[in-house]
Amino acid sequence: MVTTKGFKDTLEIARTERRELYNIKTLKPASLVLRRHILEIDERISFDGAVVKAVDDHDVEALLARLVEEDPAAVAVCFLHSYVDDSHERKVADAIASALPECFVCSSGQVLPVLREYERFSTTVLNAYIGPRMQQYLDSLLVQLDSREFTGTIFLMTSNGGVVGPKRAGEFPVHTVLSGPAGGVAAAIELGKETGDSNLITCDMGGTSTDVCLIENLVRPLTTEQQVAGLPNRSPQLAIATLGAGGGSIAWFGDGGIIEVGPRSAGALPGPAAYGRGGEEPTVTDANLCLGRLSPDTPLAGGLLLNEGLARSAVGRLALGINQLDTEAVADGIIKIAVARMVSAIKEISISNGYDPRDFSLVAYGGAGPMHAAFIADEIEIPSVIVPFSPGHFSAFGCLGSDLRQTFAQSCRFRLVDENWSDIEAKLHEVESLAMTSIKVDFPDIDSVQVEREFGMRYVGQSWELSVRVPRTVSSTQELGEVFESTYRRRYEHVHELPIECVEMRVTVIGPVAGPGCSLGADVATAPVKRTRQVYFDGAYYETDIYDRNALSGSVIGPALIEEDGALTVLPPGWRLAVGQARELRLQPMPKESS
Amino acid sequence: MNTCQVNPITLEVVCESLRAIVKEMRASIIRASFSSAIYELDDFSCALFNPQADMVAQSDDHPGHVMPMPWSVKCAMEDFQGDIFPGDVLLLNDAYRGGTHLNDVTLLYPIFNDGELFIFPAVRAHWADVGGMTPGSYSGLATSIYQEGVRIPPIKLYERGKVNEGVMRLLLSNMRLPDERYGDLNASLGACRVAEQRIEKILGKYGRTLVLDCICENLDRSERRIRARIQDLPDGEYCYEDYLEYYDGDVLDPVLMRLRLKVSGDQLTADFDGSSPQVPGVVNSSLAVAGAGVFVAVKSTLDPQGPVNSGAFRAIALNAPEASIVDVRNDAPAGAHGEVRKRAVSVMLGALAQVIPEAVSGDLSGTSFPNSIGGYSKSRDRSYVYIEVPAGGNGGFLEADGSSAFVNVDFGSIRSIHNVESLESDMPLQVRSCVLREDSGGEGERRGGLGMRRELRLCEGEALYSVLGDRAVIPPFGMHGGGPAKQLSVSWERDQTVKLFGTPGKVTGHPIQKGDVVIMESAGGGGYGDPLNRDPEDVRNDMLSGYITQHRAEAGYGVLFTGEWEVDDARTSALRLDMLGRRLRLTVKADETYPYIGNRGKRRAVRLSEGTLTRLGARVGDLIELIGNHPAPLRCWIEFGGEIEQDICPIDEFGRSVLGVEPAETVWVRSLPGPSAAGGMAV
Repeated sequence: MVTTKGFKDTLEIARTERRELYNIKTLKPASLVLRRHILEIDERISFDGAVVKAVDDHDVEALLARLVEEDPAAVAVCFLHSYVDDSHERKVADAIASALPECFVCSSGQVLPVLREYERFSTTVLNAYIGPRMQQYLDSLLVQLDSREFTGTIFLMTSNGGVVGPKRAGEFPVHTVLSGPAGGVAAAIELGKETGDSNLITCDMGGTSTDVCLIENLVRPLTTEQQVAGLPNRSPQLAIATLGAGGGSIAWFGDGGIIEVGPRSAGALPGPAAYGRGGEEPTVTDANLCLGRLSPDTPLAGGLLLNEGLARSAVGRLALGINQLDTEAVADGIIKIAVARMVSAIKEISISNGYDPRDFSLVAYGGAGPMHAAFIADEIEIPSVIVPFSPGHFSAFGCLGSDLRQTFAQSCRFRLVDENWSDIEAKLHEVESLAMTSIKVDFPDIDSVQVEREFGMRYVGQSWELSVRVPRTVSSTQELGEVFESTYRRRYEHVHELPIECVEMRVTVIGPVAGPGCSLGADVATAPVKRTRQVYFDGAYYETDIYDRNALSGSVIGPALIEEDGALTVLPPGWRLAVGQARELRLQPMPKESS
Repeated sequence: MNTCQVNPITLEVVCESLRAIVKEMRASIIRASFSSAIYELDDFSCALFNPQADMVAQSDDHPGHVMPMPWSVKCAMEDFQGDIFPGDVLLLNDAYRGGTHLNDVTLLYPIFNDGELFIFPAVRAHWADVGGMTPGSYSGLATSIYQEGVRIPPIKLYERGKVNEGVMRLLLSNMRLPDERYGDLNASLGACRVAEQRIEKILGKYGRTLVLDCICENLDRSERRIRARIQDLPDGEYCYEDYLEYYDGDVLDPVLMRLRLKVSGDQLTADFDGSSPQVPGVVNSSLAVAGAGVFVAVKSTLDPQGPVNSGAFRAIALNAPEASIVDVRNDAPAGAHGEVRKRAVSVMLGALAQVIPEAVSGDLSGTSFPNSIGGYSKSRDRSYVYIEVPAGGNGGFLEADGSSAFVNVDFGSIRSIHNVESLESDMPLQVRSCVLREDSGGEGERRGGLGMRRELRLCEGEALYSVLGDRAVIPPFGMHGGGPAKQLSVSWERDQTVKLFGTPGKVTGHPIQKGDVVIMESAGGGGYGDPLNRDPEDVRNDMLSGYITQHRAEAGYGVLFTGEWEVDDARTSALRLDMLGRRLRLTVKADETYPYIGNRGKRRAVRLSEGTLTRLGARVGDLIELIGNHPAPLRCWIEFGGEIEQDICPIDEFGRSVLGVEPAETVWVRSLPGPSAAGGMAV
């Protein structure tokens, strides 16, 4: 990292606030850059754009000499006030890029040109941290595609639920940090439109982690206030929360002999004990196999057969450790603990934000989601679970239907009373044409786009701006002020008799991409293929029907298992399911019999 | 305790919905406020109270605010018994009645249901200025509360929906930047109105009875939980003492905070008997504030995950002498409420270390360190008040080094400094640099965290600088032999000459002019464990990263390096053995003479012989610390004891119980160098 002289500790000092109150042993999240890898340049641009201290060429030479010696894989250039003027940053970044052609170089004014240096520097360093890997990945992808004569368009999913082209994604990989989960959320919104469910909580449970997201009225829940490992990432993104528990999560003894599940995971190698690749510790997948939910006879995607004996002995070893001889009870316990962690993550995004989860439907996908969804819903009294068709590929499917979406922000500072609308409009056009130029780097032929305008506005004297969507019909500063006041009143229940100022303009360019629609899938056969197996639920074995999802229609009473390529849906006793229009499974608890 | 029969999911949903209201209030205030203390530093809190003055819900709110709040609500309820109506809004900041310092202004917004008072949303927010002798209302050297700003007893700002214009104008006329204050007030009011709507929604959905049942069960289960943790502690009495720095003019006269912590079954009593009477200086506060420190220490060592509401407070009783530094009365100042709270945390850590040594940390940096600069900016055509509270280090603990420049555990989620870019945009100040402060962390097997050094240049006109800090002379302590941290420091620079202030840590209205630089250096955290046991590789990394100097690596940790900056194992072992051998140990002798000296303050004196002084390399009046069998040290000032034998250390019973030593046992003694006041120490 290269930064302004006197500010090398900006990332380590951070904002100094603690996120966990009332714990004397809380530690500040560690910075990604070691203190000795942070170099300073004596330069300064003032808040109003005035150059206080220009960049000295000798200093740059000395810096380059040092960098050549250290030979870093990536450098983040982060100077104060570069959101006003990033010429110093660009000068130094360009010099580094030419001296170290292999090095990934980015600068904060390019990654995220907005006020507040700590958050901007942090986002920029994250960008540099993942930059080299992303570049390498994209380069090899493009070469491979080229060699196979691919002629289609390449889009990459970004964290905000839209797609961008490969050049932009390679330069600003930090905007793609949540691309996978964002695909799932985008798909869930599409699915909700088809099924008529407007309030959704998504639960995407994979091998190592689970992503949850709350969608109210099918509106994309956007935020810029997320973190990666406790470090701020201010790129626009969907409000997705991630927890470290999935099918491959390992069950182990924590403090005081309590069984804990995750965040450590067996990954793909060695994988769960049942994979027979040397894994010895029991995972959630092993527990599901012990209980008869996963089948030792049905190959996983990729053809692997699960080994029940290995799973049983792994769970058995854990059982021995707590003097518990009943392997099933321990396996059931492992799943209950994993479920409790999901439940607490869902509470955090719903109840803690003032939502009652009972007003939502749970959309379960990812390889392991449909296996646990009914248990999660049961705990938190969510009335219905939706399992989309092909849940293992649901996120990928969401990517296919996402629009091109790029946001461009520009700091500005003016009071409404001092400014003509025509000047404001001219500035907006400037940002819009910048946005178009940037999009054309990846998509030279693009023509039809929608443009959304947002202003960051506040009363003079305030520090935090309110994001105000400005319709294109607005054509005077007075109307702009009215839009601000009505937004402000809706949010804060009052308005002031004070001058209003604008501090940021944001333009989002949206290019529609035709998606495949949600009803994709194989033809519906008439009769379900049926087998039975003994499956353990809550203390006892049940004779359980097994269905092939591709052949399923109508409704089913639990207990039942629904198998398909890449996923398994578990329908516990006391639940029923029905197949819906979009071929989704809708799981609901049956009304309890009165006793 | 009646156990309400509530469906556990409903209980969770209702309680969390109340908490979500508080979160929404918080978000609304941050975004809509005009004081940078609120919008940049998050120095405010919200909570919900019931008519019995129980705090029923809060979120990530500042413990220093929300814990004293029930006392304020109680006072307001007493003053207006039966005289509160829908549409009334109450305002208060009285530091003597559950308030903190006068800057923390509290708004209470009674909400009625079916004609009955049901719940109060409340906001306590730091207003950047509430009048008084200096911009920002922080006066490190104030001698009466009238110099600290306007004192507001519980009053009705709104009566039945109608604003009391006279009261409003009277208040705003006595504060600097009245427009900003008015904006802050409206931000708080707006947040309460949001809360009102949300509460109506919850009542509509669940009904009054069910909501009340949930509130009651939530308080009870919080009480049960904390009591279960206290039950696990061995019964007994655990003692500790520590100081706050009071200046009488430019003479340092430390005041004593003395604690007997009694554990009896599932009940805790924090008894401050023996603490100094209040002084005409800022280092006084109410028992509500000291109690907040007690609760924070209990919870953050025993039960970090437990809920925070009035139920959890029920298991802790407080006792203090009237009109003392922990129970302030008219008309003593109360500006250092944060310091009183933090010192309560320090004495609690010292006492708890005797019971749960593995759960505590070295002492924290121990001061809020509020710095303020106020003036008029011609270029912006407005007055401004700057305030920052640069965070110091945290104590090391069993598992890790303390974090650097990280707010202490009693400080909620406050951000202690502005973003440089926002600050420079809003005020005529330039941050010249902001870096970690080398060597400021206490030495230890686990090192204390570092403080920071932040330099601010005034870019325009003239201004007044004030600071109200503590731990500027008496440093934060280490545990289990860990070393003290570096004290905080403030200085100012004109024409490249740096000058210190005569009253370290406390300044009122010092005039500065364009080009002057104020240098603020926050204290570090105390070390944990003997520094000679620190892994030499960790010492090496600290040195290569610039957290410690090479001198400190050698003199403090006994680590020597080769020419290639690798650890020289052989020489390091030899040096460490030698350092261990040179430590001075004194033999304890029982001496029940009243040990405290001072004028208005009280500080522990220890009489040592001339020979002992020579061996220690110390002089009469120097501050030293004794380390006995208990983890935390005992601090004292040297008096000359002609009749005392060499290497003998006379200590009274309280002191011996702090140290955990019997007569004839030995204690390790070391001196604590630091700055001194221009006028010396009080006699």
